[in-house]
Amino acid sequence: MRTMKRFKSEKDFSTIFLVVLLILSCGIFMSLKVKTDNISRKKIPGSSIIYIPSGQYLKFATFGNSSLLADLIYVWAIQYYSDYTIPDMYEYLDHIFSIINELDPSYLDPYDTGAVIAAYEAEDLDLALKILDRGLEKNPEQWLFPYMAAHYAQMIKKDHKLAQEYYKKAMNIEEVPPIVERLYANAIFKSMDYKRALQTWLEIYKTAKDERIKKIASNHLYNITATIDIQKINEAIEKFKESYGRNPMELSQLVRAGFLDSLPKDLDGKEYIYDSQTGEVKTPTIPWKR
Amino acid sequence: MKIKAIAFNTFKEAIRDRILYLLLFFAAVCIIFSRLLALLTVGDKVKIIKDVGLSSLSLFGALMAILMGTGLVFKEIDKKTIYTIISKPIHRYQFLLGKFFGLVLTLFIMLLLMSFIFLALVFFHTFTIEWGMFIAILFIFFELCLITSVALLFSCFSTPILSSIFSLAFYLIGHTAWGIETLIKKIPPGAGKTLAQFLYHFLPDLENFNFKTEIVQHLDIPSDVYLYSILYGIFYTLFVLIIAVLIFRKRDFI
Repeated sequence: MRTMKRFKSEKDFSTIFLVVLLILSCGIFMSLKVKTDNISRKKIPGSSIIYIPSGQYLKFATFGNSSLLADLIYVWAIQYYSDYTIPDMYEYLDHIFSIINELDPSYLDPYDTGAVIAAYEAEDLDLALKILDRGLEKNPEQWLFPYMAAHYAQMIKKDHKLAQEYYKKAMNIEEVPPIVERLYANAIFKSMDYKRALQTWLEIYKTAKDERIKKIASNHLYNITATIDIQKINEAIEKFKESYGRNPMELSQLVRAGFLDSLPKDLDGKEYIYDSQTGEVKTPTIPWKR
Repeated sequence: MKIKAIAFNTFKEAIRDRILYLLLFFAAVCIIFSRLLALLTVGDKVKIIKDVGLSSLSLFGALMAILMGTGLVFKEIDKKTIYTIISKPIHRYQFLLGKFFGLVLTLFIMLLLMSFIFLALVFFHTFTIEWGMFIAILFIFFELCLITSVALLFSCFSTPILSSIFSLAFYLIGHTAWGIETLIKKIPPGAGKTLAQFLYHFLPDLENFNFKTEIVQHLDIPSDVYLYSILYGIFYTLFVLIIAVLIFRKRDFI
């Protein structure tokens, strides 16, 4: 009986000892975790991913879970490109996003995000266009990719011809919103192909289904005709200056001197405003406030 | 002495297990396969060999620890050999520690064999002995010790299949728990944040034993981190083993 009692108290004591030791070891390893976290270790962010050969081959290793892996890499990439302290972080941008695109070609967000990072963060417009081209290649029904590419080409690269090509691609896709055609017409105007711009805006005007679009098209038509007219008047003024050594006093002098056949009027039938002091010709109304 | 006897007995029993040699074979294949993989790369071929080799050591070592560790105690109960052991004047903690050290010894030998194949392959490419590799392997060993203790813990109250799943989950959590830090930054202050902070510190951080990238890339490693990582491994292993002992003591076999 006494031995049993002794054994029980010994067991109780060892249990208490073990519990204390358990709590103590838990406290120690948790504080050691804080300690190791405070020591900064040199890391190569993304080092694990840059050696992955290609999403095409990686797909085989996912055992049918390629979409999941694409999601994980995408989430990781977002965190990676949010940390601006990483040097040369854009070096593997194409590689990382191409892996995601290969793993899940119909996952649309990575194309947009990759292109935005390439265009605005990495300032590598060619790469942005490459990512968007890839998006269109794998998702031919998505007008958004050529639309974005056109926007970048026009706004960042100032390549209006390239922008036209992308807008045209977007226009050939079903369910494209009507604004794309108007942007296309505007890109033609920006590339100074006034004749084609006029034709395109006229077409938009004729096919417009609501008054608002008709008004927008009309304003653009006004602007293009005014640009063509003012260019013609300016050329005549230059010729006048070469002959008389001064600006004409009024625009009608250009017709009398034989530099213009007739004095052009704006789309509303009003005469252009002319300042003889500076030689500047302006529209009587601001095209967008008609 | 009793622990030593059980440990050697466990070691003898473990080296007779065919699954161990199967895993060793696959580990060797993977390490040698890294040579072929290196042919596909552009640039530093040795880097690929080192990366694949060290990862194979870690992965197959963990598989050995899990697959063998989870059956350690269960097998004794299942085959009823535990009766002959616990009827002897031996404490249950001694039995568990003996099992633990026996498997750690087995893993040590297996890691040595795998490391020999790996280092020989690296040596044939560089013709230099890279001492840094030994550090990386040493910390893989510490990681394996911790995983063994976890496998042993689950083996005390669960079947080998479930224990393997739990231990594998522990391994995966251990290598991904650092992601909680990012989550903590995004969670607004409150109970959720406190819970996330607790989990971040409590869950195993096996990245503390991961020096593979730094060693392969020849990056400087602060010397403090070695010491704290070893201590972290020791105390975490101790923590898991104490839980295992407490559970095992409560088990009634009769």
